[in-house]
Amino acid sequence: MIVGGFGVPHTPHYPSIVAGGGPGAEEIVALYGEVRTRLEAAEPDVIVFLTSDHYNLFWETCIPIFSIAVAPSAWGASDYDTIPRRELMIASDLAVHVQRHLVRGGFDVGKSQELELDHTIVAPMHFLAPDVDIPIVPVFLSALIPPLPTAARCDAFGRALREALDDADADAGRVAIVTSGSFSLEIAGPRTADGNHVGVPDPAWMDRVLELLAAGDLDSLVAEATEEQLWAAGNAGGETLLWIAMLAAAGGGKPDFLEAQRAAGHGYGAWV
Amino acid sequence: MSVYAVNKVCRRLVHEPEMRDALASEETAEAALRAATPPLSDAEVAALLAGDVGTLSRAGCNHFLMSQIGRFGLFGLDLKEEAARVRAAHR
Repeated sequence: MIVGGFGVPHTPHYPSIVAGGGPGAEEIVALYGEVRTRLEAAEPDVIVFLTSDHYNLFWETCIPIFSIAVAPSAWGASDYDTIPRRELMIASDLAVHVQRHLVRGGFDVGKSQELELDHTIVAPMHFLAPDVDIPIVPVFLSALIPPLPTAARCDAFGRALREALDDADADAGRVAIVTSGSFSLEIAGPRTADGNHVGVPDPAWMDRVLELLAAGDLDSLVAEATEEQLWAAGNAGGETLLWIAMLAAAGGGKPDFLEAQRAAGHGYGAWV
Repeated sequence: MSVYAVNKVCRRLVHEPEMRDALASEETAEAALRAATPPLSDAEVAALLAGDVGTLSRAGCNHFLMSQIGRFGLFGLDLKEEAARVRAAHR
């Protein structure tokens, strides 16, 4: 039973900013807190976590478009020691079921049998589930390295993921779909802001994404999230694809909570 | 220029502390770069040692991966200075 969809950013510096009471700490805590409150109220038994590896797990050997972690657990973060390190349990039986269902349904999804998780999962989990051991199913979607999968493909993938979870039903328990990523974000590229190593190169696109999310208009978001538009939104703009897949898996609709962090290109949302 | 070779060196900075240490020292940096596989060209080695991320950016190297240079304070760069050089290279 899918109990909701949730989206947040995964900035690796946020845990240390909050721990040190740095700039923006109160806003970070408040926004994550809004999503966490709704996630906790949904009482999930497992979190299916849609994310895009940041050149850590997948690089030299293979860069799959879709992949699922089926290991019994994984430590992280592999790439930032500023995030408190932890071991996250993986619902490996469910992960194996989902991968098998997706492959049989026409999605050529790889699997990782041994892995470390990077900040894209561990940083959000630091805020969303810091003290509980809810098992996760890490689902990887390649959203940073060209060529990107199409938005329509990610939408279809999310729907197939939902079917796989429905098929598991009683075995899966209460399932929350969580993703992390930005709508418009340039990291260390030519479109960063003066005096900063990040930037929001396409705020108009970010506002459009938020408008469509607020309206529950996933079809229009899929139609407008072309690869050209995603790259125009920054070298992390492809992460909008993760929100599309999350919403397709969670069933879409209008959000119960949606708030922007415009200066950072981020959104925080909950669909329950 | 082999974009992949430069990207790979930058990625190794995240996962190989010994690589970071080698590149942090003027005495060992060039040798560490020349030991990389696949091999870096002379121009790539020179650009990295000079912190010339603008040239590497224009060549198509990955900005997220190159940001590890500034993150770890290598080749005279920090994150802000690295980003400034990349922006300047595209003006």
